[in-house]
Amino acid sequence: MNPSLPAASPAELLARPGVLAVVRPRPDAVAEPFVVLLDDGRAIGLNGHVDLGTGIRTSLTQIVAEELDLALSSVSMVLGDTLWAPDQGYTTASETIQVTAIPLRRAAAQARGWLVGKAASLLGVSAEELEVLDGTISPRTGDGGSCTYAELIAGETIVLDLDDSFPLKDPAAYSIVGKSTRRVDIPGKVTGQWTFVHDVRLDGMLHGRVIRPPYGGRDSGAFIGRSLLRVDESSIAHMPDVKLVVIHDFVGVVAAREEDAEAAARALSVVWADFTPLPDLASPVEAVRANPSTPRILKDTGGVDEALASAAFRRSHTYVWPWHMHGSIGPCCSVAAFDAAGSLTVWSGTQTQHMLRNDLAILLDVAPDNIEIVRLETAGSYGRSGMDDVGADAALLARAVGAPVRVQLSRDQEHAWEPKGAAQLMDVDGGIDADGNLVAYDFATRYPSNMAPMLALLLTRKVDPVAGSGPIGDRNAEPPYDYENMRVVCHDQAPVVRAAFLRGVSAMPNAFAHESFIDEMAEAAGVDPVEYRARNISDPRARDLIRQTAERAGWVPKIAPGKEMIAPDVARGRGFAYSTYLHGPFPGKAAAAAAWVVDVEVNKTSGEVAVTKVVVAQDSGMVINPAGVRHQIEGNVFQSVSRVLMEQVAFNEVAVTSRDWSTYPILKFPEAPVVEAHLVPRPNDPPLGAGESASVPSAAAIVNAVYDATGVRFRELPLTPERVRTGLLEQNGSAPPFARKMKAGAPWLAAAGGLIAAAFTMLSPIKPAIAPIAFEGAGVFTSETIERGRLVAAAGNCVGCHTDGASAPNAGGHALRTPFGNVYSTNITPDVETGIGAWSYPAFERAMRQGISRDGRHLYPAFPYTAFARMTDGDLQALYAYLMSQPAVKSKVPETRLAFPMNVRPLMAGWNAMFHKAEVFTPDPARSERWNRGAYLVEGAGHCAACHSPRNALGAEATGARHLTGGIVDGWDAPALGAYSPSPIPWTEEAYYQYLRTGASAQHGATAGPMLAVVDELSALPDGDIRAMAHYLASRSPSGLSEAATTRRADALTMLGRAQLVPIDNVGARIFDGACAVCHANDNLDMFGGQVSLPLSSTVHSERPDNLIRTILNGVHDPAKGTRGAMPSFARQFSDEQLAELVTFVRKTQAAGKPAWRDVPGAIRRIRTERPR
Amino acid sequence: MTPRTGPLRLTVNGATHQLAVCSGALLLHVLRNDLQLNGPKYGCGLAQCGACTVLIDGKTARSCILPVGGLEGCEIVTLEGLGTLEQPHPVQAAFIAESATQCGYCVNGIILAATALLRRIPDPSDNDIRQALKYNLCRCGSHNEVLIAIRAAARAMTSHMPVVE
Repeated sequence: MNPSLPAASPAELLARPGVLAVVRPRPDAVAEPFVVLLDDGRAIGLNGHVDLGTGIRTSLTQIVAEELDLALSSVSMVLGDTLWAPDQGYTTASETIQVTAIPLRRAAAQARGWLVGKAASLLGVSAEELEVLDGTISPRTGDGGSCTYAELIAGETIVLDLDDSFPLKDPAAYSIVGKSTRRVDIPGKVTGQWTFVHDVRLDGMLHGRVIRPPYGGRDSGAFIGRSLLRVDESSIAHMPDVKLVVIHDFVGVVAAREEDAEAAARALSVVWADFTPLPDLASPVEAVRANPSTPRILKDTGGVDEALASAAFRRSHTYVWPWHMHGSIGPCCSVAAFDAAGSLTVWSGTQTQHMLRNDLAILLDVAPDNIEIVRLETAGSYGRSGMDDVGADAALLARAVGAPVRVQLSRDQEHAWEPKGAAQLMDVDGGIDADGNLVAYDFATRYPSNMAPMLALLLTRKVDPVAGSGPIGDRNAEPPYDYENMRVVCHDQAPVVRAAFLRGVSAMPNAFAHESFIDEMAEAAGVDPVEYRARNISDPRARDLIRQTAERAGWVPKIAPGKEMIAPDVARGRGFAYSTYLHGPFPGKAAAAAAWVVDVEVNKTSGEVAVTKVVVAQDSGMVINPAGVRHQIEGNVFQSVSRVLMEQVAFNEVAVTSRDWSTYPILKFPEAPVVEAHLVPRPNDPPLGAGESASVPSAAAIVNAVYDATGVRFRELPLTPERVRTGLLEQNGSAPPFARKMKAGAPWLAAAGGLIAAAFTMLSPIKPAIAPIAFEGAGVFTSETIERGRLVAAAGNCVGCHTDGASAPNAGGHALRTPFGNVYSTNITPDVETGIGAWSYPAFERAMRQGISRDGRHLYPAFPYTAFARMTDGDLQALYAYLMSQPAVKSKVPETRLAFPMNVRPLMAGWNAMFHKAEVFTPDPARSERWNRGAYLVEGAGHCAACHSPRNALGAEATGARHLTGGIVDGWDAPALGAYSPSPIPWTEEAYYQYLRTGASAQHGATAGPMLAVVDELSALPDGDIRAMAHYLASRSPSGLSEAATTRRADALTMLGRAQLVPIDNVGARIFDGACAVCHANDNLDMFGGQVSLPLSSTVHSERPDNLIRTILNGVHDPAKGTRGAMPSFARQFSDEQLAELVTFVRKTQAAGKPAWRDVPGAIRRIRTERPR
Repeated sequence: MTPRTGPLRLTVNGATHQLAVCSGALLLHVLRNDLQLNGPKYGCGLAQCGACTVLIDGKTARSCILPVGGLEGCEIVTLEGLGTLEQPHPVQAAFIAESATQCGYCVNGIILAATALLRRIPDPSDNDIRQALKYNLCRCGSHNEVLIAIRAAARAMTSHMPVVE
């Protein structure tokens, strides 16, 4: 957090008494302060670069405190605010300490010099005789008085122009710089007291969400900004407080509450045009090679072609780097507010605050001077993220609604739209002579550019979506080794997808090629790869680093891969790589240099690669905060191991399809290697940027180690198990048996089938209407009767079918899907015109028992009067009383129009004659009272069979042995209850009870789909009723197993399912691991609410995949209550292909012994394309 | 069904609040917006990353997917409720001592997961800690310091001594 300053602007501050400031004068503008000392004893440093979560704030604080001889706690830093901090360009290329801290340090030294000078004249001694201790100046001798900085500044206004030659403190005298220092921000961050940009709250602030176009991750092409066809405002008409903002392809919603903004963004119906997709992006090699490019020759010395032709050993390879994500843990967020005069303030986590300001000026037609960017810290982004995009989103929405707006991007928006780290293609042709000398190196690198314009500028058509090409691919393009003849070419090209700087930009891929290739040359020369590097590098500092690193790691020289087997399937290997990160345009400026020794283990069967240990040494010159640099090295190691082993952005032909952490997995704690970070002591050399260097050697070190383990060189990343298996098998000359193809199965026939033309005789005459009544009001019923009716209604879940979405309870209109068409439920509120307000009790009873409406029309048995007929008079009367005492809601429901023969309502009379017995439930005297109560509830008001029994071709529930053997409702399988249950564990009475009472049973999982509402309603019933239902249901198919034996069996199945989750060597397994395992792997032992064990769930044991697919797509939401936890919807995260992989994996691993589901992709397509009801 | 609206009693960090929120509102939004707590962070809304973690009755919970409606009567603790700047909880103190985070966005969930772990296993092995953090993502790569800090916290808590600098 930036400290507060005692003025509204720098101009005001520099005119205020009690201030000493060192500034850089600016023509036509207020001078830029670098260091400000205040009469309250505080010192404030100002820097144009920001802290991206790496601890730069602490290091800069150390530098200022050191030069000023102040305690750390007296110094604070203002970073990045456009109003206050100097414009020092983008925070990039690890330049903060190496470059932007130079004037800061100088300013601090100069302030100290002025203060000591003034003290000298006051105390009457020479400046040389004085020393400073935490801002107190006194003679070294200890006598003669003293004064403090604050006293010297009091009442004065001292503004010094920065003197770039002012002498600095001798590093030998440092007491703060070079010492490990605790991070100044961490106490606040670990106690919730730190203000991230996400935590900004303003008075009257509203919450905004954006709805992005379908071309997620693209920012060039004619369709950009021109794809919106229409927005259907009626889709959010039920949310009257939500404001909608549409500007071409920019669509946003604003609401007072965050959950309302989210709900509106989900509900809003937006129709986008189709557009011509770019080439298939699934293979970066083709996409990048096909992308038009301009060759830029960076180096051409000697005669490369001749040297190649005469090389004794020559190899030509292509190295492939995939698109990566920054993968910030916090999706971008920003707050924007306009004041009355039209000036805009944006609270942002940007690292390019001046570019953001200028882009906002273009977007909004506001002068840059009227825009202030307040910079706050955010989640780490490791390069330019979508922060500027979301700042613009917030500004557009704030302008539209005339209030401050906070916009938070969703995870899928962050994943899809963050400007990616670009893919890269490196071609190497090189060789050695017969003596092992490096004679030729012909290197060509192809890098699609990364300028990523602010998204809102494109979406609102303020700028044209023309892909620009930038010269960014040349970082570390030249190898560090002394090839006698060398050609280095960078093929500059426009972006293929939206991209921006990501840690080690273009240097990591280029070094991957150089450092892999040198290993190969070393082996050909018969020299140890460490020794070969040292022998062929002319920079002595680099040679020193290479040797030191190998020594620290206990490197054992080798001239061939060791292929050490440590288990029947597992090989171990060790690899080396070195790089000096070069930032800025070619040939670049050297930042810190780093070298890796890495140990890997390769499972040759599964293809999994584990990085077990990394020893890194880094030469960063003078180190400001050793602990900070060590942490930064470790951070680089973990992140780059993740990138090399696991990461690649997936695309379909239109857009990014990696939209969550399961489709873009990153390294997790269990896989984190042991890291040893060593700092080469160089206290007398200038400090070098340490932010990214340790990432650069990562990829080559790892592939070199995999080579040592297996004898196979990998030149394309990431090293997924699939790629490694294929590589190992290709080496063995056989086709990969793991190549997976979805078997083409027979199309799944919908169980509900089509309409079978059935002729049956129409016998019954049309029924008479029962005269309407003028209802006298609910006062005629006793409250006891109404309460009893409420429970009957709950047992029957009337509201579940008689309510449509968010409309009023029991007002009808909910569509029940049947093979004959949709049946719309009726309004059962006491509205006279559209509900049952004119219904007498006899009319109501006739409907409930015979399925005949008051007006004489036959009702369809989707209304389960076949069950309700069993209810007692007392219950029906109470139900009538309850329904008639609800608020009347005027709501006309859609007319039900079914296919023949069901469209002929009188035919239902014949149906009733065949399938309906209107008889009240008769208790079985041989059974207990509890059993009879349970049977009455299950078979009567509860009408369980309406969903859980199959229906015949005419829609009648099966009876006899097929009663309660499973049905289909709203496309969900209602599983069989009892002997035919798909559950692998018999349902016990206790399990039924838990399930009906709480919505979840430890042995069977949780409710989803239509059953959620049933359990909700049942919560009104007394425990005795639920126990009775459980007793009755369990009695229908006694398992013969004790509760304890059932629990043991369940535990065994759960363990078995858990064991099937490894190895994580395919897409489905990865998605499960990233998205499902947290709640379903049964290994998250500290989790509130426990885990839902899939091996016990009917959903995965069912004959059809429908319930699983629906659960994943819809999630499990229980808006009325939350007791059962919740499962998020993954509809926006998973493509059809990803979902099919996941569903197939779950069935294969969690449904022990069950056959694979047939045509999962077909079921997914069918369910995804269902028309909304 | 119409979600219930009306006063909802939520006990957070020892204080009970009467809140006029929809019962379907997510706990994360209620904590951040109604109670102005910064500890829990939005990271994914999918229970994948752990940035939103809170403790409910001593167990870890993902507030980004949990509706508040069912949490009446539960004891909810956020990072703020664990300890303060002046008196940090031993786990927080260990994280400060080890500078065991980089950007600090994920650290909320990691600290709360560690707290729940240490309640279950006061003296966890390295593997116990790694497994307990399996579902907490950190992108900056502070894994090493986190493991060190949690081991230090465990030592401090079992010996009832403060975290040693």
